Amino acid sequence: MTTSASAAPTSGPAPEAKSSGAVLLLLKMRTLIALIVVTAYFCIMAPNFISLGNLVIISKHVAINAFLAIGMTYVIVTGGIDLSVGSIVGLVGMISGLLITHGIPLPFMDATAYPNVFEIIGFALLTGILVGFINGTLITRFSVAPFIATLGTMYIARGAALLISNGETFPNLVGRAEFGNDGFPILGSGTVLGIPLAVILMIVVALVAAYVAGRTPLGRQIYAIGGNERAAMLSGVYVNRVKVIVYIVSGACAAIAGLIISSQLVASHPASGTSFEMNAIAAAVLGGTSLAGGRGTIGGTIIGAFVIGVLSDGLVMMGVSEFWQMVIKGLVIIAAVILDQMQRKMNRR
Amino acid sequence: MKFTRRSALITMALLASLAAPMVATAADKLMVIITPSHDNPFFKQEAVGAEARAKSLGYKTLVLVHNDDASKQNDLIDTAIARKAAAIILDNAGADATVAALKKAKDAGIPSFLIDREINATGVAVAQIVSNNYQGATLGAEEFVKRMGEKGDYAELVGKESDTNAGIRSKGYHDVIDQYPALKMVTRQSANWSQTEAFAKTESILQANPGIKGIISGNDTMAMGALAALEAAGRKDVIVVGFDGSNDVRDAVKAGKIAATVLQPAHRQAQYAVELADKYLKTKSTGKPEKIAMDCVLITKANAGQLESFAMKGK
Repeated sequence: MTTSASAAPTSGPAPEAKSSGAVLLLLKMRTLIALIVVTAYFCIMAPNFISLGNLVIISKHVAINAFLAIGMTYVIVTGGIDLSVGSIVGLVGMISGLLITHGIPLPFMDATAYPNVFEIIGFALLTGILVGFINGTLITRFSVAPFIATLGTMYIARGAALLISNGETFPNLVGRAEFGNDGFPILGSGTVLGIPLAVILMIVVALVAAYVAGRTPLGRQIYAIGGNERAAMLSGVYVNRVKVIVYIVSGACAAIAGLIISSQLVASHPASGTSFEMNAIAAAVLGGTSLAGGRGTIGGTIIGAFVIGVLSDGLVMMGVSEFWQMVIKGLVIIAAVILDQMQRKMNRR
Repeated sequence: MKFTRRSALITMALLASLAAPMVATAADKLMVIITPSHDNPFFKQEAVGAEARAKSLGYKTLVLVHNDDASKQNDLIDTAIARKAAAIILDNAGADATVAALKKAKDAGIPSFLIDREINATGVAVAQIVSNNYQGATLGAEEFVKRMGEKGDYAELVGKESDTNAGIRSKGYHDVIDQYPALKMVTRQSANWSQTEAFAKTESILQANPGIKGIISGNDTMAMGALAALEAAGRKDVIVVGFDGSNDVRDAVKAGKIAATVLQPAHRQAQYAVELADKYLKTKSTGKPEKIAMDCVLITKANAGQLESFAMKGK
């Protein structure tokens, strides 16, 4: 395709212009097309794939990755990366587990305070925000490269998660009605009109994130930083402040994912969330986010997350071996980036 | 690579310089206990059991984890050599990848005692004490067959497929279950020993095969993940069988949510390894063959009350 387009004369309407325009449109829609193709394939090949119940389950599985990927998209658009999100998932789960199981000891009053579910959610979000704030501060104030800063906090947060319980699982996080801290499992398994709370939350977070990215000054500033950081700074964008906000958003999104996972399992395990950051990056990249920064949309990322989710759930339903699932996932990611590069080449012309 | 080697060397030198005066003055002998990550309570109990027994026999202990990373394990064994350990108690990170590292320890005059997992070589370790995973799996499978009423569709959750025990357990399950033609495996998926993965995969399996009556799982963490998925789907009729004997699953067995699990005597096994090491250090022989298999115990509602931290009470 590229060769025929490059042969076209630069001036005047080329005969290929119309067809290359159509190709460009197809390339732009590639993730959506991929999603439709993958879904159609499983509808034929996997038993019971196309049912309302299964679509709900897939959305529930996608939601976890989607939260991480939404935050990750913001970060990547500024030209950064956040490797700590998987560890935040583990840490947040452990903090919630600790609060439900053991409460907060008050040594001077010889008592223990048991926070209720909303307070636990608050603590969890604060944890994510705190790690995000540390990431942002390291990157802006101390000029640590995002890859290194978040690699460091990835290890620290995972270590902290393991330290909280000395590596043990907090099982049976149902809380006790007499302490007023019951109800934690509802977050993961509750539904409204048959739709899981996790999915509703994902839709709300995605809509807000898309609105902020597309319609607010903050969103424009995020893209401006990714496009050309110096130009953004010279035109009056508080680059550092925006960057810190972006990592805080990513940390908070990871905290939501961590809450939902431990609520679904009704248990929190310190190793949960391991390598989730890679799935989040994959979803963002599949959705057209450029690792060089400046480009990417929340909508694209959500579709990317669905491509990954539909693939893995569909392959499980078909009974495909885990090893092939990994190979296929890798191939899809690489194919997506190759198509992305083709689109950029055609755009430049 | 070069950098890690150097930093490892520096660490070792520091450790050695710290350890040297202590060894000289106290004349205490050091037992190095290396296991996979303690985030699995099974491995934690191994370390706890070995450490307690070693201390009660008058040894100093150093507890390390290799996170199933053969290269990290190699570094840890170097550390043990540098600290002139009297013995190494090891739950290893790979049947083949461990051999060379243990040879190094042997050449340095440090005997190793393996627990839980075998290696593909003899004469390198002094003892290899493993739970009889195959025997345990047949126990679990027999109970599974009984509870299923010898018929119906079921799914299997396999552990990490690169891990020897995942394969041995699966074989033990199938050698029993496959004798009953009315029991039909509709799908077999690896959940890599992980609760989170088992949860998501069981949800998908239930969608594809709503008719399943049972799930047999290669370990307890995956069984807990499957149970969470079954509860989320409101399915109380599905028979779940696990493997390991963790306290979480014990509670679920007591409550009738999980049909059975198989206890691997992790705590006792680790203690036994330490006792053999002590005997070997004193008499230059354990008096036992290198490979020792410890039988597993079936845990059902009837005896779940006796189970605590991978050991049966009163034994």
